[in-house]
Amino acid sequence: MSGIIAIISQPPAEGLTGGDLEALGGAAALAAQTGEPVLAAVIGHSVSDAVAEAGERGAERVYVADAEHLAAFSGDAVVDAAESAVAASEVSTVVIGRGTNTLEFAPRLGARLGGGCVMGVTEVRPDADGGFAVVASVYGGSARAVYRLAATPRVIGLSPGLAPAPDRDAGRSAEVVAVDAPASAEERVVVDQPAEATGPRLEEANVVVSGGRGLQRGDNFALIRELAANLGGMPGASRAIVDEGWAPSEEQVGLTGKIVSPDLYVAAGISGASQHMMGCSTSRVLVGINTDRDAPIFRYARYGINGDALEVLPELIRLTRERAGG
Amino acid sequence: MHIVICAKQVIDPDGVNSYALWGQLEVDESGRAFSTELPLIINAYDDQAIEAALRLRDDGHDVTITALSAGGEDVNQLLRHCKAMGCDEIVRVDDPDGPPDAFRTARLLAAAIRDLGDVDLVLCGRQSSDYDQGTTPAALAEMLGYAYVTVAFDVRVEGERLRIKRATPLGEEQVLASMPTVVTISNELGIPRYPTGRGMIAARRHPATVKTLEELGVEDGDGAELLELYIHEVAGECEFIEGDDPAAQAAALLGKLEAEGVL
Ligand SMILES: Cc1cc2nc3c(=O)[nH]c(=O)nc-3n(C[C@H](O)[C@H](O)[C@H](O)COP(=O)(O)OP(=O)(O)OC[C@H]3O[C@@H](n4cnc5c(N)ncnc54)[C@H](O)[C@@H]3O)c2cc1C
Ligand SMILES: Nc1ncnc2c1ncn2[C@@H]1O[C@H](COP(=O)(O)O)[C@@H](O)[C@H]1O
Repeated sequence: MSGIIAIISQPPAEGLTGGDLEALGGAAALAAQTGEPVLAAVIGHSVSDAVAEAGERGAERVYVADAEHLAAFSGDAVVDAAESAVAASEVSTVVIGRGTNTLEFAPRLGARLGGGCVMGVTEVRPDADGGFAVVASVYGGSARAVYRLAATPRVIGLSPGLAPAPDRDAGRSAEVVAVDAPASAEERVVVDQPAEATGPRLEEANVVVSGGRGLQRGDNFALIRELAANLGGMPGASRAIVDEGWAPSEEQVGLTGKIVSPDLYVAAGISGASQHMMGCSTSRVLVGINTDRDAPIFRYARYGINGDALEVLPELIRLTRERAGG
Repeated sequence: MHIVICAKQVIDPDGVNSYALWGQLEVDESGRAFSTELPLIINAYDDQAIEAALRLRDDGHDVTITALSAGGEDVNQLLRHCKAMGCDEIVRVDDPDGPPDAFRTARLLAAAIRDLGDVDLVLCGRQSSDYDQGTTPAALAEMLGYAYVTVAFDVRVEGERLRIKRATPLGEEQVLASMPTVVTISNELGIPRYPTGRGMIAARRHPATVKTLEELGVEDGDGAELLELYIHEVAGECEFIEGDDPAAQAAALLGKLEAEGVL
């Protein structure tokens, strides 16, 4: 068994983004270590553009499961299709980027294939015997663990930022192999009311202004929204205030929320627990506003204001409104 | 309806956070565990999984709830908590020195669930707060051949199926799932209830049923082997913005951010 395959499921029509590009980058990084070829599997319906792009971004061969029942995500259908692609390609390793549905199918695929799976991999290390070990965070980022997946085929779920997206080279193209992906007789999990993806994505915002329990009251989250809007960015939240109901869970940043990496991240009234920092610590410039000078947020922050967010935020709002000419 | 909830014992994550913050988190000589003496608690999402099961009972369904945990004798305390919360039966798969390999754990849990027989719904936490992997329930679903639904915050019976609300990164999604199913529970479910006094008394009189790996006929297999744990440094280089008042601090901060080119 040889080859590293990046799984791309339900690619958007506009071109590959986020986790799909990370999977191709991660596959290339692994292949550089093991000398195995980079392959891709594209799962969805009417996916010829994504197939071409995977080739332009370095996949030597692309396995395609294209069928009507794969148009929308279904864990059962995607695991079946990925299993077929892995069987056809006889790869040693499957790489999956972080996406909306990764948690729903990556570990299942690892169990199905028999080699197991490690999620949230931040680093790949070469092994003495030509193989590799993987590193993932534990305790929300307070420590790291090194794992080995000895058996193949194995599944690796990547954390964003492990490797850059491979460049696109229009001169390159992949050999395309169609994979049989019949619909199963029974649909065990049926989406009745889909989540509506509306508006811009937090993961792609250049500026994120986040609030935490230091805001004292739910109403004060309006300050976060206003400052974010003035800076042309988006609001984010700690889990503590999502649990309080001050912000919706889609706005949560962190280990179990969104992972963002904007140019500017402002954390107001957020302690800086490792689980929160997992979602924002790679931001270019991080600002902490906190009444506690010893708060962990200041270990990660480039700039800190040791003060009351309820006094500082209104001033920032006023000044940024003036800047925007409003 | 027979519901199994899978509960894992973990080191209190808030304690780990504070120890890490004060530089007191240490890896022991095995290289694979923390030497820190911190309290062991139920993984918080698993507590919410019990709550999800109890809410189905509150809805008037005739449910039997079995709490299941794989571990050594120290998880008896966790199982007593599950009983006190309102679970009917508590089962421990005796595995005192099991490595933290989700795929191995899933094999033990799958064998125990097969041993129980007629299970309709398995509720797990979305991930454990120690290894943060969220792989055990997925592997469990595969091994049992059950349907699989993640990050649920509301689970209801609708005819022969379950109507499940999921907290996806895009927002709320509702799915209908056939049974048997493995469902993982997320914190959006809300705060679990406290054990009642009566529950606590019942728990004291109710020992866990213990199953050995031999009895369950658990097979060996491959998974994720933990080689080592380590603690990495967080490089702090914070520049505090001083100023006479919040207005001055805000202006100084914006000046810095403009100079950095991020505004
Ligand atoms: C498995 C697991 C997953 C988790 N996932 C996430 C996740 O994805 N995202 C996440 O955020 N958390 C997550 N957490 C929770 C995390 O550990 C913390 O509990 C949480 O981030 C704390 O939120 P907070 O900083 O808003 O609240 P707190 O910890 O209560 O901190 C409030 C802060 O505000 C400061 N403050 C108080 N008043 C003011 C004021 N007037 N002005 C300025 N500052 C003030 C305080 O000094 C304090 O530092 C997770 C935990 C676990 C166990
Ligand atoms: N030893 C165990 N005993 C019972 N349930 C477990 C055990 N380990 C993991 N689980 C279940 O699997 C979930 C996810 O764990 P993990 O895959 O470790 O993130 C937990 O929330 C539990 O519901």
